[in-house]
Amino acid sequence: MKKINRRSFLKGGLAGGVAAAAAVGAAKNADAAGDFGGYPDSMGVLVDLTKCIGCRTCEAACNKEQSLPMPDKPFNDMSVHEEHRHGGLPRRTTEKAYTVVNKYEVEGREHPLFRKVQCNHCQEPACLTSCFVNAYTKTPEGAVIYDPKVCVGCRTCMIACPFYIPAYSFSSVINPVVKKCIMCYDTRLKFGRPPACVESCPQQVMTFGKRKDLVELAHRTIESRPEKYADHVYGENEVGGTSWMYLTSVDAPFEEIGFDVHIGKQPIINYVKEFLAIVPMVLTIWPALFTGFHLLATRKDAQKNEESAS
Amino acid sequence: MKTFVAQGLKPVDSLMKPGANSEWTLKEKLLLGLSPGDYMKQLVRNPFNWIFAIIYAIGVPVLLGRFYYGLGWATHGSYDYPWGLFLGWGLFCMVPLSASGFMLGTTVELFGRKDFKPIERLGLLNGLLGYLFAVMFLQVDLGQPWRLIYPMFVSLGPAAVLFLVAWHVATYLSVQVAELVPAASEMMGWKAPKKFVKSIVLGLTVAGVILSTLHQGALGALFTYAPGKVHPLWYNYSFQWFHFFCSSIFAGLSMLIVVSTLSKWFLKWRCDANFTKNLDRITLGLSKGASLALITYLIIKLTAIAHDNEWGLLFTGWGQWYIFEICFGVLLPLFLYTVAIRNQSARIARFAALIAVLGILLNRLNTALITFNWQLYQEIPHWREVVITITIYATYILVYRACLCRLPILFTWKGDAK
Amino acid sequence: MGNKKRKLLGLALVAAMVSPWSLPGPAGAEVFDLDSMKNLYEKVSFDHDMHIEITGQNCTECHHHTAGTPPTDALCVTCHANSPEAADPSCKSCHVKDVFDAENMKKTWDTPLLHHRNKPSLKAAYHQNCLGCHEQNGAPTGCTDCHAMTDAGEKFYNAGKYAPETKAESHGGGHH
Repeated sequence: MKKINRRSFLKGGLAGGVAAAAAVGAAKNADAAGDFGGYPDSMGVLVDLTKCIGCRTCEAACNKEQSLPMPDKPFNDMSVHEEHRHGGLPRRTTEKAYTVVNKYEVEGREHPLFRKVQCNHCQEPACLTSCFVNAYTKTPEGAVIYDPKVCVGCRTCMIACPFYIPAYSFSSVINPVVKKCIMCYDTRLKFGRPPACVESCPQQVMTFGKRKDLVELAHRTIESRPEKYADHVYGENEVGGTSWMYLTSVDAPFEEIGFDVHIGKQPIINYVKEFLAIVPMVLTIWPALFTGFHLLATRKDAQKNEESAS
Repeated sequence: MKTFVAQGLKPVDSLMKPGANSEWTLKEKLLLGLSPGDYMKQLVRNPFNWIFAIIYAIGVPVLLGRFYYGLGWATHGSYDYPWGLFLGWGLFCMVPLSASGFMLGTTVELFGRKDFKPIERLGLLNGLLGYLFAVMFLQVDLGQPWRLIYPMFVSLGPAAVLFLVAWHVATYLSVQVAELVPAASEMMGWKAPKKFVKSIVLGLTVAGVILSTLHQGALGALFTYAPGKVHPLWYNYSFQWFHFFCSSIFAGLSMLIVVSTLSKWFLKWRCDANFTKNLDRITLGLSKGASLALITYLIIKLTAIAHDNEWGLLFTGWGQWYIFEICFGVLLPLFLYTVAIRNQSARIARFAALIAVLGILLNRLNTALITFNWQLYQEIPHWREVVITITIYATYILVYRACLCRLPILFTWKGDAK
Repeated sequence: MGNKKRKLLGLALVAAMVSPWSLPGPAGAEVFDLDSMKNLYEKVSFDHDMHIEITGQNCTECHHHTAGTPPTDALCVTCHANSPEAADPSCKSCHVKDVFDAENMKKTWDTPLLHHRNKPSLKAAYHQNCLGCHEQNGAPTGCTDCHAMTDAGEKFYNAGKYAPETKAESHGGGHH
């Protein structure tokens, strides 16, 4: 289905009532200038999907590094690539697996393409901005980590995450919390080491480095082999940029291997700012406005009282 | 109870026993002036109580199971649909239907429309109980309900929309409790609390309007976090909060008409002449308010489609569903309300109110569950989730009924405390 | 552009000159033990002679430009058309074991104009180099076709005797 551009309403040509709306739309562009844009020296990972062979070693490494529960099937069992969850969708991250590798058979391609899924560690994370107990932190190293000790379990971050990443330990009764990839912050990233999945990969699908260097590398890689790579660094600009970025094969565009390419370039919080902006207005204007209404509405009673008093 | 009243029983409506020089005791007041035996008799005789008994027989074990086996047992525990019926129904439907509290407070206390006074307290109670049970639903849904106060005192995330919802619902609940203190004071024979609340009623009401505007809007704004997940026809980052706020106005007023109708039918013995005689006139008055809100809502809904230029989407399958929601949930009640006001027919207005309530339920469920993840798949709630939702809602009705029977809501308390 | 190319070429020459003259080129009849994943897998006994034969003595197939033969890939030719045979053409002379080691990270990212910034580690170099050909030529491609899993490997992959018991219901709780 054709996705309709939110900004294209002017073309719709509905006059009158829309004029006010147009003003609102224009104001929106202006505040985009205040975006955070990420820590300058934050680390990132560039995933070259053309190299992935779907061996699931990264899944095993993640499981061990994060002390996750025993998987349902061994990590060298490739039958999981044929598994589907509800709605015919491939596997996703769960409370037991912070990363999964999925297989995509793309039409016109001889070999399948594999895609690794994990938290993309957004520059301006939706989960972080939606959390009402401030459990999430974007560290200067680039990881989006969280404090499970304050998680109330409202699961708004799962609603907000545009990549469907945070999972929830629904199986726990006493201490259910949000569960997701933290880029091995505690055990590795903090000490300058890449996440376990990156290091374990036998194909070195993933390059670890400063995000800004990786963006440059990604573009140079595409430039040097335009016949091989699709001209799109997924994650460079998506939802304000992510620490994990992807290159794909020219014959397997991102939309065919499960990436949401209609996700937009704005951080998710930008969609919420319009409401957040009215909050102080309501808080300050309403009291005076409604007290004024009250005085107006009851002026006759007041007059009557005065007359009877005099 | 009807039977007892028919036999000549006069339900408690003052501090003093009729014809005697003694006060009702609290126990007698709680038992509606009946002896414990008679009270039990009317409980058993009421067919509704049998329905509640069946709901509880099934529902209470399942509800306890949710806390013993966890959310994964009670719900589908879906990662893609983190919110199910508990919030879809319990929060997103109950809260707009409870907007009557601030609407009536504003009408009577701020705008000085004393002609709505007979229904003001019903409006306030409808608000208070709706919010209270929305919190109950929330407590069932939260993974760690005992951490509910964390966003208040332990770890604050003030930039999050849910933070606003939490604070505003909490403070608004206290405001509503305060607004109903006079009713409780009359029944208990207290004087000071009533006088105190009366002195701050303007402040309370203004606080009510502010908090309601913000949290009704915030519930809508919660979905602005999910631009790709909610279907574009139900999503608009500029107007989402206003859609939710504006629709809560007619939702609250319509719910109040529905509740007052139910009270008139099933609790006739408890309504005094001041309430029953004025009800038709008030119903039509509320209808006017509701139709104004409906028109505003309709225009802003269409503006939102124009804003995003989504006309093309109206011709898709989801578009048909959207058109149905607007026709059934907005246009039809608007039409019926108009007919009712023209013909001065409270009966038609009551029907319009019922449709408007159903329409708002459809809208909230569409946003929160049905069109949510429209590009993925449709999640059907687990049966245990449905049972728990029904059980809590039944409790809401029971508590509602208990309050109406005892507090001076549908009737005026005779004589003040000494 | 030309200037940049010349600089890169110079850099490559310098790199070639300063690299230690440790081992003579292993052109003889040899079988090497490749053990870059020895914690998880047994060593691979790599029959160098056999592979020389299969490739028709075309060293470039595996050794890029370090075996004295000119590279075939147009992209490599831009810099390495005339690169001499490396003093040590073995994989490990260029591909380090731990590319994420702090020193190597610094070298990789802080050397201006360095082209090979995502140069694979030794382990990755083996896999990237071998798997492509193996797949094209019908040679084995499964993990354990080349190297048997060790006990530690079975533990790591939850395989063999560490495999999870097959559950009747694999979806603990609800459907996810």
